Amino acid sequence: MNSRFYLEFLKVAAVPLFMAAVLFFASCAEHADDGILRLGLMEEPRTTNIWLASDANSRKLISLVYQPLYTYDPDSLELTPWLAASMPEYDPDTQSYTVRLRDAKWSDGTRLTADDVVFTVELIQRFRVPRYYSQWRFVERTEAVDERTVRFFLEEPKAIFLTRTLVNYVVPKSQWEPIAEAAGQRQKPLAALLNTEIEAPLGSGPFVLAEWRKGAYIHLKKNDHFFGSGVEVSGRRLGPHADEVLFKVYGTADVAVLGLKKDEIDFLWMSIQPGYIDGLEANPHTTVYLSDRSALYYMGFNVRREPFSDPAFRRAVNVLIDKDFIIDRVLQGYAAHMDSIVPTENVFWHADGLPEYARGLSREDRIRKAWRVLSEEGYTWQRPPVDENGEVAAPSRIILPDGTPMADFSILTPPADYDPARATCGVIIQEWLKDLGIPASSRPMAFGALLQRVKDRHEFDAFILGYGQLSLDPDYLRSFFHSENDRPGGWNMSGYNNEAFDRLADESVMAMDTQRRRDLILEMQRIVMEDVPYIPLYNPSAVEAVGKKRFEGWEEMIDGIGNIWSLTRVAPLEE
Amino acid sequence: MNLKKLLLRRIIEIFVVFYIIMTILFLLFHLAPGDPVSMMVDLTLTPEDVALLVAQLGLDQPLWLQYLYYIKNFFTGNFGTSFHYGRPVIEIIGQRLPPTLLLFTTATVLAAVAGIWWGKLIAWYKGKPVDTGVTIFALVCNTLFLPWIALLFIWFFAFRIGWFPLSGMMTPEIWVNPAAGFLAKAGDVLHHMLLPLMTLFVVNTGAYLLIMRSSMLETLREDYILTARAKGLTERQVRNRHAAPNASLPVVTSVGLSLAFSVNGGALTETVFSWPGIGRELIFAVSNADYPLAMASFLFIALVVLVANLIVDILYAYLDPRISYE
Amino acid sequence: MKAIAAAGTGKNETRSFRMQAFLEGWSLFYENIVGRIGLYLLILFGLMALASYIPPLIDPMYHPMTGVDPDISYASAPSWRHWLGTDNIGRDIFTQLLTGARVAFLVGISAAFISIVIGTLLGMIAGYGGRVLDSVLMRFADMIMVMPSLLVILLLSVLFGQLSIWIIVMLIALFRWPAVARVIRSQTLSLKQRPFIDMARVAGASHVRILFRHILPNVLPMALLYMTFRVTSAIIVEAALAFLGFGDPNTVSWGMMLQWVWKTGHMFQAPWWLLPPGICISLITLAFYMMGRAMEEVLDPRLRKTKGPDYAAS
Repeated sequence: MNSRFYLEFLKVAAVPLFMAAVLFFASCAEHADDGILRLGLMEEPRTTNIWLASDANSRKLISLVYQPLYTYDPDSLELTPWLAASMPEYDPDTQSYTVRLRDAKWSDGTRLTADDVVFTVELIQRFRVPRYYSQWRFVERTEAVDERTVRFFLEEPKAIFLTRTLVNYVVPKSQWEPIAEAAGQRQKPLAALLNTEIEAPLGSGPFVLAEWRKGAYIHLKKNDHFFGSGVEVSGRRLGPHADEVLFKVYGTADVAVLGLKKDEIDFLWMSIQPGYIDGLEANPHTTVYLSDRSALYYMGFNVRREPFSDPAFRRAVNVLIDKDFIIDRVLQGYAAHMDSIVPTENVFWHADGLPEYARGLSREDRIRKAWRVLSEEGYTWQRPPVDENGEVAAPSRIILPDGTPMADFSILTPPADYDPARATCGVIIQEWLKDLGIPASSRPMAFGALLQRVKDRHEFDAFILGYGQLSLDPDYLRSFFHSENDRPGGWNMSGYNNEAFDRLADESVMAMDTQRRRDLILEMQRIVMEDVPYIPLYNPSAVEAVGKKRFEGWEEMIDGIGNIWSLTRVAPLEE
Repeated sequence: MNLKKLLLRRIIEIFVVFYIIMTILFLLFHLAPGDPVSMMVDLTLTPEDVALLVAQLGLDQPLWLQYLYYIKNFFTGNFGTSFHYGRPVIEIIGQRLPPTLLLFTTATVLAAVAGIWWGKLIAWYKGKPVDTGVTIFALVCNTLFLPWIALLFIWFFAFRIGWFPLSGMMTPEIWVNPAAGFLAKAGDVLHHMLLPLMTLFVVNTGAYLLIMRSSMLETLREDYILTARAKGLTERQVRNRHAAPNASLPVVTSVGLSLAFSVNGGALTETVFSWPGIGRELIFAVSNADYPLAMASFLFIALVVLVANLIVDILYAYLDPRISYE
Repeated sequence: MKAIAAAGTGKNETRSFRMQAFLEGWSLFYENIVGRIGLYLLILFGLMALASYIPPLIDPMYHPMTGVDPDISYASAPSWRHWLGTDNIGRDIFTQLLTGARVAFLVGISAAFISIVIGTLLGMIAGYGGRVLDSVLMRFADMIMVMPSLLVILLLSVLFGQLSIWIIVMLIALFRWPAVARVIRSQTLSLKQRPFIDMARVAGASHVRILFRHILPNVLPMALLYMTFRVTSAIIVEAALAFLGFGDPNTVSWGMMLQWVWKTGHMFQAPWWLLPPGICISLITLAFYMMGRAMEEVLDPRLRKTKGPDYAAS
């Protein structure tokens, strides 16, 4: 009886088991070709339309297809000719730059000419393409001198033209002209341009798109017409040496890391959490690259409001924040200390000798120091954080100089799933501020809602945000702190307003002499760090992992090894 | 009330419910703070750029006008363009719906069939240790925290012993290989499907088993079972021919009723397994403030649930002639 | 027992009758092995929840949210100081686990209670109120039933910024009443036909009085039974929400712990961190579920056919 029962019971179990067995043996044949470079992504790219591609994953794909005139040298971080043949020549009389092009071709074999460059600039200006337009708007006129020479006439001297504008991509006139014409006829030309689907983008990069199976993978093939094949640029001989590229999409970082360990991918193209490092280093087939980044993670105040408008208050908060604790604990040591808005790793532009506030002090000493700073400015407590004997005690709520107790306020942070580090920082800082009776509470909120409150409506007290990829050029200082950017939607989210800073910033934009510009930028940093509308918290390292089994030759650079140099230079291992 | 009338009434009901859901969704999305443009943290994006983008996306129009457009467009089959992908929403949903339907129809059918079969058997042993054992086991499986167990399965079955692929739906190496035939490709998709299928099977079967068991016990007390026994049929015949078909009705209803909940679990399963289905896309669209895509995915999911409920009702009426409506 | 019943007045009689019914039910319940396991598990979790207040008193480093070990700033394996190890910033996992039990009870019971109150009230009103009211309320219930609650709450959480734990509780409750309302409605419908309701009406009792004095006591056991099932689904929804990163970041729940272990990349490297929260979520839902099943059998063995199986798959 019982055995019969079990038999019948198992009968139905046999069906899935049988299926599993059959399929298990049926599909054991997944072996990659030697020449396929397999790259892991966390999310599927948005689009192959370069003008719509604002997300990191699309930009990765785009960077293999479209190429800029200039790029940065991985060691010196100086501008290096890429599609251009040489450095641009500046003519101060006409305020124009002349750029000579290399003998480069599009992936269909046609020549990449000065006309393409002119067309690209004119397209950006005509449609006012977001993100690009602000970089090209001051270019009055672009002219094709001959097939391989372009001349850019500037309205006024602009320091960022070299470092920001010239590193933008060039698109082919032959593919985009009809699209631009069609979009121009529409009622909403920009939306039409952005929403045009480009199934086969014509590029000049090392690879060309072969197939994109949505939701599964992207397949690229080597571009036989790539200008760099076998050419030496900036002392490096370019490839590409991989015949094909496969982008694989893993929805979660954990599984992507397992995929790397299982040799499903050769490079996980994203910065991973430090928690993965030990496991990846222990695996004989994988290794980890740590790179400095040009990034800024900071706490910002709304200086339009009391008491955040008081620089002394902001300084006191800065004293209370133990940045080394955040770096050691929250970021597991994989981050760099920041004492300015410009990262220390950006050697040329970073200002040395800025105030360090309370670096290295113990928690008690921080409380004492912050208490002194605030007491001097007229802040009081019914029960002060430091008692008569100089001992630290739990304080009552802080009372502002005007006699009112400080109201509760929130530190807005992105949600934990977006960035656990920033969400955790919010909670920790809230606790530190309580040591001084400052009634802060950390409030993670959805990213879009947070930005809208901070950037558009200015309805906030304090926030923690970050820029993962700051440009190397420190022009962002002006964006963050110039009073003209203090408007709804402007990047001066704090509402910082300082005439001396504004003057320096305006001058730095026009300064075509690099040394002079550097002096201005250093002075600007000094002013900002004295007033601390932003408290820089940390600059995380880029943690990237690769498989060692099949490819070698990754090029280390600021922001990590996922750069065009690596992807044109990695080569299959010789066996 | 006959079946035709019932059908008509249910379809009208579905329309009304659907329309209400549509309106609520629209209001939610448009009253909530945060828009797709404000999501972009890009220092090169100036306020002028933002204003231009907002105008081009049609977000600067008054709410009621946007609503009218939305309703009109929806019923003319125009679901708009995804902010994120810049492609028509219907195209994206067209790509994401089939994998979801494939995975969940298979999982539900397998779980229901196995649940009916095992529940039928176990009811025969009411009160015996094997009954208690299976009941507890079924309960344990049923209450496992889905995403957690899914991750453990991935780690163990896909990574540690390597029987299954880690995630996704295809092995790109096979699909880009021109030599691979249809069989290899179909086998590849099935291979990817097995682990999520197994996870859903483990978690869902228990529920169906328990319902079947209870319903079977109930049925066995009915008069016609007594009659069947009196006719001298074997226990096996009584069980399989007479009791089981009627007893499985509640399982069928429960499949329909639990659909909305399966969608919850489905979104989690798809997220953990990176299954390129509509649940995962919805979570993604929502977090990216991609309104057109999120709204349309949501509506499609609601529609699927509504229609599936209708089908279950019809099936029920068909299976059980005793059911009268009203 | 008999003596009390004999000596008592009418009111005491009913009370002792209920007492007796309760004791009978209890012994039936206790005989049921499934119910017993559920009960033991629940007691265990209850103790955990109570114990969660102790560790922070011993040392501030055992504070579940803000306490960090001064010497450990990485995910460390279990040790004497940290029975279940620490998370990546040196917080004690055992303390977090205890606190998680507290949060689970809080979320589960309050969400279930609210949804039961709503469900019972609407169910009674629908059943008692008759035609129009009935069909409007029930269509409304149907509509909510077809909504994938987790996704809707997730949507709200994304749209309106991070939700606090109380708002999450409210939302879960708002999505969980329809099944209760349905059952209570059908009970009310059958109660309505009973003579004692007619008698009450003839005696001049108001509708409110009839509902709360005569119908409510009779549907209450059923409502309580449903509460155990609602608790399970509330805990699961909160855990899933937190796991996906949409929970209340100021609350240490088990789902939150899973979210942390997942997002910090310790998923497959720190089993002492990954396993306990998942096991706890699974076991506490199992416990409530088992209790519910046992209670169900005590209350009415025939109930099984009419019960909405929705709790099963949620």
